[in-house]
Amino acid sequence: MKNYFRAPIVCAASLFLVLPFVNACGIRAAPGNPQAAAPPDLNGVWSAPFTPDISKTLGHQPPFTPYGAARFAKEDEFDDPLTKCLPIGPARGIQAGIMPFQIVQTPSVFTILFENQHTFRIIHTDGRSHPKDVEPTWFGDSIGKWDGDTLVVDTVGLDDRTWLDTAGHEHSDQLHLVERFQKVDNNNIKWTVTFEDPKFFTEPWSITLPIARQNTEIMSYSCEENEKDRAHLRRSKK
Amino acid sequence: MRITSSVALGLAFFFLAVSPPVFAHHGFSVEFDRDNPLTLTGTVTKMEFMNPHIYFYVDVKGKDGKVVNWAFEGGPPNVIYRQGWRKDTLKPGDVVTVKGFRAKDGTHLAACSTVKLPDGRELAAGSGGASQNAYGSAAADGKK
Repeated sequence: MKNYFRAPIVCAASLFLVLPFVNACGIRAAPGNPQAAAPPDLNGVWSAPFTPDISKTLGHQPPFTPYGAARFAKEDEFDDPLTKCLPIGPARGIQAGIMPFQIVQTPSVFTILFENQHTFRIIHTDGRSHPKDVEPTWFGDSIGKWDGDTLVVDTVGLDDRTWLDTAGHEHSDQLHLVERFQKVDNNNIKWTVTFEDPKFFTEPWSITLPIARQNTEIMSYSCEENEKDRAHLRRSKK
Repeated sequence: MRITSSVALGLAFFFLAVSPPVFAHHGFSVEFDRDNPLTLTGTVTKMEFMNPHIYFYVDVKGKDGKVVNWAFEGGPPNVIYRQGWRKDTLKPGDVVTVKGFRAKDGTHLAACSTVKLPDGRELAAGSGGASQNAYGSAAADGKK
């Protein structure tokens, strides 16, 4: 009987002695384990290159459906929702250039605060799923999961009034975004966004932009404060 | 609205009238005509350092002796603040020379590319120059 008691005690003592070395060797708990390594810290103010025409980053036009191609052919910058001071949308907000955005990260929520129009995205990272019936909104419903050094964000339920860029690439309320925020180092993130919309595009397509840390703070912005341009805009197409 | 020291160091660069593309709430060519550049000299009457674009107004005397109050639009105040502009960078009474592009609707409105101040400095106003797709206008960039 004595040996039956002694063996577990010896094992426990051995484990106690070995654990510090296991940690020192960088051996981490499995994903999903409560003791899993903390995700990368992406808090801070960031900015990606201004991307007014997303097809130039892609290298060609997106794979339009006939409907998507027809919509793009007749679109006019006059109708850009931003000229009406409407919200910029989730991916276009990232591409807004020198109007930066701030990431505020907690274990359960990853928030992106856009300087542009002082809008924001809330990305739930608490393991929840999308609601069954999502009402389309300007920034949609976003959930995120950490995949090593990368936050993978899935967004649905997007209002079809936003544009993907200034050039007039549109989408429907069936748009599905998958974004990957990969921490490259303390000052750089590699952002890849995949656009899937069966109404506008024949297949999913992606672009990648570098996001760089900015040595500034996000500032106030109100599109309506002194908006005087609307009356002067002119259509380029009849 | 705290600006760090390293940002402050960068301001000198921007004061050399080299402006990065500016994103605001409308494309450039939907309002302004790149084929209609202008250079006007006159006296500042008002400065509006407000969103979504700064506006300033300049009394310009024409060849006929009549004075016209021109409106000039620049970049968003946030953007040009980071480039060194402040609310009092242009003051009523300042005599300035403005380069820009006239509005397509023919009114006395123009997009300001640069302003030459009384002390001789020439500042970019956040709306870029002829070679720049300053407002991110896809049309001006050859798409349509």
